[in-house]
Amino acid sequence: MGRTSAYFQADWFGPAVISVLAVLVIGLIDRAFISPAALDVLILAVALNGMIVLSQMVVIAIGQMNLSVGGIGGLAAISFAGLMQVQGLPPVAAAAIALLIGVAAGLFNGWLIATTGISAFVITLASLSLFKGINLGITSAQPFYEIPAVVKAFGSEALFDMLPFLSLPTIVIAFALMVLLTRMPLGRNILAVGANPGAVALTGVSLKWTVIAAHVISGFLAAAAGVMAVARLQIGLPTIGDDWLLLSFAAPVIGGAVLSGGHVSVGATLWGVAIVAIITQALVLFKIDPYLVQAVLGLLILWAVGINRWREVRARKGEGKL
Amino acid sequence: MASFFLSNEFGLIVGICIFIAIFSWVDANFWSPFNLFVISRSAGVYALIGLSMMAVIATGGLSLAIGAIGVCAAMAFGWAIESAGLHWSASLAVALAVALALGYVNGWLVVRTGIHSFVITLATMSVFFGGMLFLSQGQSFRALPAEITEFGRLKVFSISALFLTAVAVALLLAAFYRFAALGREMLAAGACPEAAELSGVHSGRMFILCHVLSAGLAGIAALLVTARFGAAIPSMAGQLGQDWLMPGFLAPVLGGTLLSGGRVSVPGTVLGAILVTILANGLLRMSIGEFWVQAILGCLLLAAVLGDVMRKRYLAASGRA
Repeated sequence: MGRTSAYFQADWFGPAVISVLAVLVIGLIDRAFISPAALDVLILAVALNGMIVLSQMVVIAIGQMNLSVGGIGGLAAISFAGLMQVQGLPPVAAAAIALLIGVAAGLFNGWLIATTGISAFVITLASLSLFKGINLGITSAQPFYEIPAVVKAFGSEALFDMLPFLSLPTIVIAFALMVLLTRMPLGRNILAVGANPGAVALTGVSLKWTVIAAHVISGFLAAAAGVMAVARLQIGLPTIGDDWLLLSFAAPVIGGAVLSGGHVSVGATLWGVAIVAIITQALVLFKIDPYLVQAVLGLLILWAVGINRWREVRARKGEGKL
Repeated sequence: MASFFLSNEFGLIVGICIFIAIFSWVDANFWSPFNLFVISRSAGVYALIGLSMMAVIATGGLSLAIGAIGVCAAMAFGWAIESAGLHWSASLAVALAVALALGYVNGWLVVRTGIHSFVITLATMSVFFGGMLFLSQGQSFRALPAEITEFGRLKVFSISALFLTAVAVALLLAAFYRFAALGREMLAAGACPEAAELSGVHSGRMFILCHVLSAGLAGIAALLVTARFGAAIPSMAGQLGQDWLMPGFLAPVLGGTLLSGGRVSVPGTVLGAILVTILANGLLRMSIGEFWVQAILGCLLLAAVLGDVMRKRYLAASGRA
């Protein structure tokens, strides 16, 4: 297999080509789409949504799902904003506590799933309601307005006027996850559990701790996304996280992740995020009814699911010939 | 007899009695005719939402789209009355037809693609809800005929007509699962599709019909909500219809419906919905605040599934499983 052909085979290649083509085509139709301001908005969207989606991707890797990603993110977001406004903590300390809350929430999910054997869907549906209820119970659905200038600057300014600060955590986490999933034992265990839990247990790897680890990482990333959302919106809204569910599954599916687990790609997933962001922004640019954006996102998932399915069927036919 | 005392239904009846005892002790007005009407009204809607989810859980799958389908049906009802000028009875048929068609879309996609129903219904939830918002432009239909509003207020001995409707539907559904060949084939396909195929059941067709049945029940639930509000409102089930997910799963899971498919309990689901409604109502009347109630319902779902696991372990240990 040649070098170029290896690129064609890579998971991220298809979504990457689609993203670049989409930006070029939409840019040709309307130059406003590739203006620096518009690209800035695009990068910010990919940065924040990327963190949300990576949080879901880690759990998809073990063949499970985490409905409480938005619940954890919302709880972390209001903890972060509340600790700064009410307790007067410095932003770094508040962020650290918010991230710890995310880790604790992930531990709660993972521990329950691993020890009881109940499906992740039901456990995280229940914990979503629990986390959201605590969030609204603490805030009485009122936002925190007093966000320190440092945090606001982090959410709105850019490094060397090029790279938004908000994209730095996502870049760091994306690389860390890539290393984790491809180079480290824990990452390989996570993928192996997703592919075949029974076989993994036979090799002596602890199924329980691998599941818990994946959920803890997911909780940490969801909390990070919550903190980033506060910086981006410049306000601690209790509704942060409410609309993450659809997106968090759309991007991995569009990026080609197999939802039965065992096979995820950080690169392809992030390109999936980019495609969603590009299409959403193009629909706004072309003044398409905002109500339709939601429907288009759903159709996009169906289309991606169809493509993945077609690829699977074709791969199976290919195996048959050999 | 011993098996009845270990059943979910018995546990739920005990739970309902305990909650009623606590709440009527704490709150003298718990038994007031008005509160009975409020509880029975909500319980009727929750029971139908639970039955709608239960019909899909029977396949071993789930449907995130029941809320979106319900809202689409309610909006179709409002449109048929106000814009198409149909009589309300014909409009009911239009609404149910819309719901059944959307359920067919879900079922067809799940069966034909072989993709897990979670992903399919996640996508269709967004498509249905987005399409509904686009067509309605987010506007409610408020000029409904007096019959509809009156039905929402109708009570028999302080019990809401919405609850009686739900009970009637539940009885029909229970009879359908127990006596109709089609109902039994649905359960057989859900329990083990391969085995069902071998005995001549078209599992794929059954799965599609389960989704259609679920959508029909979601449509009825949404029409009851419409009668209650006297209006068809796009936000009646929350953003994307997600507000129906918690009651949708709570009632069947409390009622002992097997999440892996093949076993449903209609009375259990109705009792589960009643328990959830009484608990939420009692807590709200003790001014706990609706946000904490949401957290408590989350804990209740956890407790229900954990209790189920422990019961199974006990049954296995005592050799009765």
